Amino acid sequence: MTSDELEQLLVQQPVAVLHRLARGRVHRHFRAGKRRLIELILQHSSQNLAGLESDVLALIAERQSHPQPPQPPARPASRAVVAPPRRTAPRSGEQETTEAAVSLAAWLEGIGVPAPQPFVPDPWQEDALAALDETDVVVSVPTGSGKTYVAVEAAKRAIAHNQTVIYTSPLKALSNTKYTEFSRIFGIDKVGILTGDRQENGQAPLLIMTTEILRNLLYDAASGEIDIRLDTLGLVILDESQYIADPERGVVWEETIIFCPSQAKLLLLSASIGNPQDIADWLTSIRPTTCRLVRHSKRTVPLRAGYLHPNGKLVPLFKTATIPSGHAGHLHPEAKRLFFEYEEETLPSGRPRR
Amino acid sequence: MPPSIHPVDLIASLRQKHLTPAIVFLTSRRACDEAMESFDHADIVLPPVRQDAIAAALERVIAQYPSVADHPLIPTVQRIGVAAHHAGHLPSWKIAIEELMRQGCLDAVFATTTLAAGVDFPARTVVITQSSIRKSRDFTDLTIGEVQQIAGRAGRRGKDQVGFAVVTPSPYIDLGVLTKGFTGHPESIDSQFTISYPMVLNLLKAHPHEQIHAILAKSFAQFQLNQRAELLERKLDALHVQMEPFGPRVCTDWVSQWQTFDQVRRQRPQRHQVRRHESPELSARFHFMTPGRVVGLARGRGIVLRQYRSKGQKNPMISVLRLDGAVTECPASNVGDIFDRVFECDETPAFPWCSAASFDELSYQLTELPARLPTLPIMVPKDSEVLPDAIVQSLGDFPCPSCPSRPACQKDFATALRLRQEQHRHTKSIQALRASLWHRFQERVEVLQKFGYLSPSAHLTDEGEWARLIRIDHSLLITELIRAEAFTGADPALLTGVMASITHDDDRPGSFPRISSGLSSLLGQVRKLAESLSPYEDPPLLRADVAALAERWIADPTLTWIGLCRLTTMAEGDIYRLLARTLEFLSQIHTLRATHPGLAETASRAIALIRRGVLEELP
Repeated sequence: MTSDELEQLLVQQPVAVLHRLARGRVHRHFRAGKRRLIELILQHSSQNLAGLESDVLALIAERQSHPQPPQPPARPASRAVVAPPRRTAPRSGEQETTEAAVSLAAWLEGIGVPAPQPFVPDPWQEDALAALDETDVVVSVPTGSGKTYVAVEAAKRAIAHNQTVIYTSPLKALSNTKYTEFSRIFGIDKVGILTGDRQENGQAPLLIMTTEILRNLLYDAASGEIDIRLDTLGLVILDESQYIADPERGVVWEETIIFCPSQAKLLLLSASIGNPQDIADWLTSIRPTTCRLVRHSKRTVPLRAGYLHPNGKLVPLFKTATIPSGHAGHLHPEAKRLFFEYEEETLPSGRPRR
Repeated sequence: MPPSIHPVDLIASLRQKHLTPAIVFLTSRRACDEAMESFDHADIVLPPVRQDAIAAALERVIAQYPSVADHPLIPTVQRIGVAAHHAGHLPSWKIAIEELMRQGCLDAVFATTTLAAGVDFPARTVVITQSSIRKSRDFTDLTIGEVQQIAGRAGRRGKDQVGFAVVTPSPYIDLGVLTKGFTGHPESIDSQFTISYPMVLNLLKAHPHEQIHAILAKSFAQFQLNQRAELLERKLDALHVQMEPFGPRVCTDWVSQWQTFDQVRRQRPQRHQVRRHESPELSARFHFMTPGRVVGLARGRGIVLRQYRSKGQKNPMISVLRLDGAVTECPASNVGDIFDRVFECDETPAFPWCSAASFDELSYQLTELPARLPTLPIMVPKDSEVLPDAIVQSLGDFPCPSCPSRPACQKDFATALRLRQEQHRHTKSIQALRASLWHRFQERVEVLQKFGYLSPSAHLTDEGEWARLIRIDHSLLITELIRAEAFTGADPALLTGVMASITHDDDRPGSFPRISSGLSSLLGQVRKLAESLSPYEDPPLLRADVAALAERWIADPTLTWIGLCRLTTMAEGDIYRLLARTLEFLSQIHTLRATHPGLAETASRAIALIRRGVLEELP
């Protein structure tokens, strides 16, 4: 879809959809009118139209699968003659709250194992991989969306070009897990692991280490004790890069990114964060190529929230089966009642004031 | 009603609704272990087929990690199909549990939220029992990002059509935090750039001092500071626009001109009053002569009952209760000393200026006062506002009174001054934002110059050349220890003990083996040094008990892992982490082999000795 087509599509959407799209993309989007909103959204996502497109299509699909409650009958047109009844607004609000909450059976529906189907990469995964051929990429997607697939595919491509790939994780334990996992995928002789005091298969094309170790390597390279392998370094994958905000260790990620050799591509994989665009802009400002941001907020496996009372009763947590994004107050009446009861009984002074 | 659901019931209801496999996040390791124990009395047993599956899967893990073989929890896990996974366990055991979970052998895992990021296995369901997380000593609410990270473990791609996040209440829960976390948009993240000593040394090794500015400017921290600075610059531009109508008038800088004129105009009439009134010293002292204050007069002490200003008197006055019980009036200037002692005084509006009970009490207190009392140090404020006489006298020289633009100036002055001050403020903060990283870097450079790691021209000295290789926490302490030759002649056990106490930053109490006298005297030295370095680097905890544990592991090569764990109440996983971190520190010391061959040799011997048993299993 070209940007013009996308714009056409956006124009056809109701403003509510546009506002949902703008959330997290456009600052103070609620102040903007429809036309301005579309302009801002497109401007913001100009680097990542595919991501925007997938979000738009997802939203449209979601709206179609949950048809809106019938609109209240149109108000009599004779507005000039009779003053409109004052209670209209609250009544429509009431209608929303009395909308039937989802039942437990409906909430549990669909549980189980999906029929096995051939693995088809998501559009965002394809997108990230395609972009990685030319530029650095920042990926910010929900936990469990398949970031590892991107890492593995990217590593495969780089290795095919006789390049060295470095994969870093924040924790030693995660490094070990990844070492086992990657050894299974690439073959044991293709994967090496570096820790503070030990190297295993240090000449392998894919090296796994913690970010601190990579930082130390880069410092050694910068001060002249050149590790010959940095010349062939083609790809650096920083997993869990939301650690850049860790109060104690975040600085290590910054140092690593600053000193990363410019011929190597950077792939930052991160869980959902609020400002991935900032990270991408930062990379663009310090790296030779423009950084591409790939983000989306839709989970591959949909998530539902439930409430389990201490007496063993399970009820949905929200009024809708899916999690109502942006509406923390839309609790299931039964969950609300049970939790209130729980607080009344367990806290001697009743509900704590916050 | 119980404060929270019983673990056995929880698992039972999850199984009944086909919500397994599940990860149950609990508040603490202890909660996880207790949840496991609560299954001891439950008569739920897995069908034999599944028990065999678990045994087979464990068999494969044991082949790789032998230490899993005799783990005490294996029978329980096999019987009930539920396990615990937290930082108190050995890494190999955690790997075993993760493997079991991945193969679908387990129904549930109890885990701690603290390590939600380190839990690398998904499940159909996650159960959340708390809304806060322990972060360095106290509990803080989960952020939206953290809730989503935890909930994100639910739903395995290709194995589940839907994932479930189930909230179950416990005394530690605030439903609002969780619902906000589920539905909200994750928080923005901010840079946490800090400049450490090894960073400074390594930067200066590779780049000349002049280039560092450019390198620091490439950090995400500076990027975000620049964003803020740009915001301010935009405000500044807006201010410039607002300032336009207040451009030059008859005089170029009419705002300053009017400001001086205005100040002078206000001050002139006051000059007479100032002379008639009390000296600044007296007004400063008078402030402290409040009811109940003990003061020294020419004839003995008294307690102030009230203070007042009388029309007939030049000086402010006080009423004083004297030693003989008399109430006298005296000018405040007659007071000699103001003592650092105030009594309760129940004031009343009429004579004797305090209630009868309070009067008796004060009279009694006055007789009981010690002979010597500390006097109150009173700062006399300098009246800096006062302009020099010359300017004040020259009011006639100001062009303003007869200036044609006087009415305009008078009208616009307030707005123009406010805008100009705002402009100054913004300019200053922009400068601060742009340069703060550089200043922090310079501070570090100065400290390193003071200790002799850097020459005055900011080049690495010989000391700096090797010190830059120590790139760990508390690097300054370690390099200073090496320079003080604290480790000369130390055997591997002593070195390991000291390093262990420097690495360990957890203050969980526990019982530990006794410490050897050699190590304890060395630790005393380290403590002294750490204290003297505390202005430049936060001192580590330096726990002697932890040091003793590490020392024991090195000193006695026949000691088994089980034997080591028996010596202490520390959890297995913590001991492992302690030794692993110590290993990291030792290997940093090992990199100094060019300059400190003896020490590096000791370190490498220590490394060889640490790496045995469980510690050899994982890279």
